[in-house]
Amino acid sequence: MKRRAHSLASDQAEINVSPLIDMVFILLIFFIVATSFVNEVGITSQYKDSASPSSQPNTPLTFELSPSGQILQNGTSIGLEEIAPLVRNAQEKSKDSIIVRVSPGSKAGLATEVMDQAIRGGAKAIKMSPLPK
Amino acid sequence: MEDQEDESINVSPLIDVVFILLIFFIVSATFVSLPGVEISRPNAQTAKSLQKNSILFAVTEEDLIYHGGTEVQLTEVPTLIEAASKDRNKPVVIQTDQWADAALLAKVIAQARKKAPSVSIATRKPR
Repeated sequence: MKRRAHSLASDQAEINVSPLIDMVFILLIFFIVATSFVNEVGITSQYKDSASPSSQPNTPLTFELSPSGQILQNGTSIGLEEIAPLVRNAQEKSKDSIIVRVSPGSKAGLATEVMDQAIRGGAKAIKMSPLPK
Repeated sequence: MEDQEDESINVSPLIDVVFILLIFFIVSATFVSLPGVEISRPNAQTAKSLQKNSILFAVTEEDLIYHGGTEVQLTEVPTLIEAASKDRNKPVVIQTDQWADAALLAKVIAQARKKAPSVSIATRKPR
């Protein structure tokens, strides 16, 4: 009799663990999922499609990438740090459409950096077009 | 007193299940298939955080295009975007290796442009 009373008391003291397990499983699933989210940073080139060709009477600012890794603008070789000032000083109209012409063999890393510098200089839209071999 | 306790329905398991379903649907809506290749991203100073729920393509150093863990051809890109987007106009993010061919990257962007509202290039985090 005495023993039974004791066991009853210990029953009451016991914590119900099932909600705890529920919660732990939910948190586990949540954190597994949260780590699989893709968190990318990058640059977006929002160029307008050629729906209004009349809005571009002047030639857009064009950068050319040679296979050897040079950046050419109007035939002269320029450095990466010269792009942003060039774009900044360009006419407002040509800022809307900057063209990066890449020759086969040039590196995507350099092309991305050219686009990045052009955006830094205030470019609104950049189009990347491949040159024929 | 005891009768009343029996009559009231215990709602906590219901809430549990509803929460699990809620999390499941949130997750399945934002799930993206990774290209499944390791690339070294190019640097950029103006890099901004891109939209999470986007279609990913990878261009590797060997000038191969990957999507969802398998190699794909350049001409398949618009079809794949259409299949992955399911009329929800998802943006496209291209993970390019910095030593990949820029002409191929330009071609992939041009192909993706046909179907996607915006095409971005994934870069390293600016310091």
